[in-house]
Amino acid sequence: MKIDKKEKAVVVIGSGPGGAQVAYQLTKQGIPVVLLEAGRRIMKEEYVNEEWPAFSQMAWLDKRTMTGNSRIVQDFNGLPTWLVKAVGGTATHWAGATPRFLDYEWKTKSTYGSVDGATLMDWPIDGKEMKPYYVKAEDAIGSTHRGGRPALPANNNYKVFAEGAKRNGYKFYATGPYGTNAAPYDGRPASVQDGFNFQGDKSGAKWNPNVSEIPKALASGKLELRENSQAVQITTDSSGKADGVLYMDTKTKALHRQEAKVICVAGNSIETPRLFLMSASARHPNGLANSSDQVGRNYMRHLTGSVYATFDKPVNFYRGETMAGFLADEVKHNPKRGFVGGYYLETLALGPSFLGAFLDPGRWGKKFADMMDGYQNMAGMWIVGEDMPQKNNRITLGSAKDAFGLPAPNVHFDDHPNDTAMRNHAYEKGEAIYKAVGAKQTYRVTPYPHTHNLGSMRMSAKAKDGVVDKHGRCHDVKNLFVSDGSVMTTGAACNPTLTITALAIRQGEYLAEQLKKGNV
Amino acid sequence: MKITRRELLISAGSLLAYSQLGSLANAEVNIAAQPGDQEMIASMCKALYPHDRFPMNIYMDIAAGAIKKGNADTGAKISFRAGLDGLKINSFDKMSFKKQTKYLNSIANTPFFGLVRGHTVVALYDHKEVHKIFGYQGASFDRGGYKDGEYNDLSWLPDPRIEEHPDLTAFLDDSSPKKYASLKTKKTF
Repeated sequence: MKIDKKEKAVVVIGSGPGGAQVAYQLTKQGIPVVLLEAGRRIMKEEYVNEEWPAFSQMAWLDKRTMTGNSRIVQDFNGLPTWLVKAVGGTATHWAGATPRFLDYEWKTKSTYGSVDGATLMDWPIDGKEMKPYYVKAEDAIGSTHRGGRPALPANNNYKVFAEGAKRNGYKFYATGPYGTNAAPYDGRPASVQDGFNFQGDKSGAKWNPNVSEIPKALASGKLELRENSQAVQITTDSSGKADGVLYMDTKTKALHRQEAKVICVAGNSIETPRLFLMSASARHPNGLANSSDQVGRNYMRHLTGSVYATFDKPVNFYRGETMAGFLADEVKHNPKRGFVGGYYLETLALGPSFLGAFLDPGRWGKKFADMMDGYQNMAGMWIVGEDMPQKNNRITLGSAKDAFGLPAPNVHFDDHPNDTAMRNHAYEKGEAIYKAVGAKQTYRVTPYPHTHNLGSMRMSAKAKDGVVDKHGRCHDVKNLFVSDGSVMTTGAACNPTLTITALAIRQGEYLAEQLKKGNV
Repeated sequence: MKITRRELLISAGSLLAYSQLGSLANAEVNIAAQPGDQEMIASMCKALYPHDRFPMNIYMDIAAGAIKKGNADTGAKISFRAGLDGLKINSFDKMSFKKQTKYLNSIANTPFFGLVRGHTVVALYDHKEVHKIFGYQGASFDRGGYKDGEYNDLSWLPDPRIEEHPDLTAFLDDSSPKKYASLKTKKTF
């Protein structure tokens, strides 16, 4: 449908898992929505099954600056994250793991106690309240191993991972839960084991909003999807309520304005706070909805790293599903290990193109070449664990300008000692898994540009402690919502997409009800 | 490694090269255009990422790309010229691998090294012939994906369980904040 720019509309900014889901929930209930997306709609037929061309096709490459002590500042300066600028958002290149938060991960301050330098806080919601939304989210995505849906078969990389895990006494390994169909589901086909989840998935077996919520919402006749439309400022009326969105046509650079009665922002954890900071005004001098000074703070990106190993015999680990291998034994909080929180180990395969760039950034010489030379005999896994929120890990407006003359975001991130301790523990366990099945050489791999970007608009019970309330509604601006992973008070150990989806379903239902009651 | 203009200008070698370039008046100067230059750069690419299995023509392709980048702008040109000069003066291509490695270590902080290394690591492992040598088959969508017997053809380990362990639900559900708060946090940092 076409919605007039002068009409006070419900406007959703960003079409990733958060924004597309909220838009879908609203349109499903008959509420018209304008969905602004900075990127274009790339149809699945256009996806390219080559790593660098696909990266160029969809990665968010707008200017960003970086500071902090993490190695990535040196390795990939200017590219703190690996996100997607396209309809469907970063879910376009998500791998697909769908674990849930554990109950205590909603209450880390109460559970872990005080950790020096960390700004742990309890979420204003808990596991019990979220349980039904997790079920809805798993059904929306079609998670394997859940809702009666079958498991994906084992690929070669999983065979090495699972047997190594077993020989280490681990029990909780499986090929999921995973957001790619093992059997046809929801109008999408079963996996044909063609890999390339990080490049968009040409078959449509992998869930992402571009093959699910977006076409469904468009079919409802209640959605207007505006591609290449990058929001640059949210305006407010004399009472301080949000009343419109200025957005730029990224092709023509023309500036447009959409009048709004409600705005939901889902630009991921860098662009969302950036937009709020760029929306400073006389009524909101420190940035929109920032009386708490929490906009942009407590930015998290999960504790990550990888372990690769080579063996005497071929593995061909790149074949089949990219991340359909999962180990939960190390996820439980156990402070005896020397850190709080926990982590998952998940299978991961890269092609030679990306492996060369990410195996050991900056490294050269015989040892590196030997590792690459073992490509065919290689297995790989990814570490994903809870990282500590810190108040100075934050998104600010830097002095550099992007290609449109807008202030480029600066991403500051210092590793917390808890992150380092957990990463080292995980490296050891990952290596032990591969050594148990005869690894010749193992390699500890530093984080890639980050895909899990969380926090920076944290959810809190009290207005002074965070930006949004338990429904993602801004404490300071009642018709302004945040609908993405930036609301995460703390990040838990699990891959975030399922939780972002669950929160967005919950928010969509809440907002539809409030709109119908006239409470917004 | 990203090379800034400032880093280029503070390099003494580059400043020298810059002054020499100035004397060339208005002639269009292309770097590494002499016979043997591409071979010299190729020998550097190979010393950086040595693979006995790769034929020299692959490294020549990579060198061609590096030279193109070395001619991309004036800043790149002056550092590339100085770096190449160093390789030539020292007969880098005639050195033993051990000496080559030592030499590369000695220039590892120069913009020239950064350009060649950064280009090589990306271009080399993205090279179609390298993929073939590695046994990487890449895309399979057009032929219907990897088949049963391909994506799972590893036979030197037993076939694993793919379902979750029956105790997993209980393990994950046993996560009450109260219970886990009673575990004493051992401060190690």
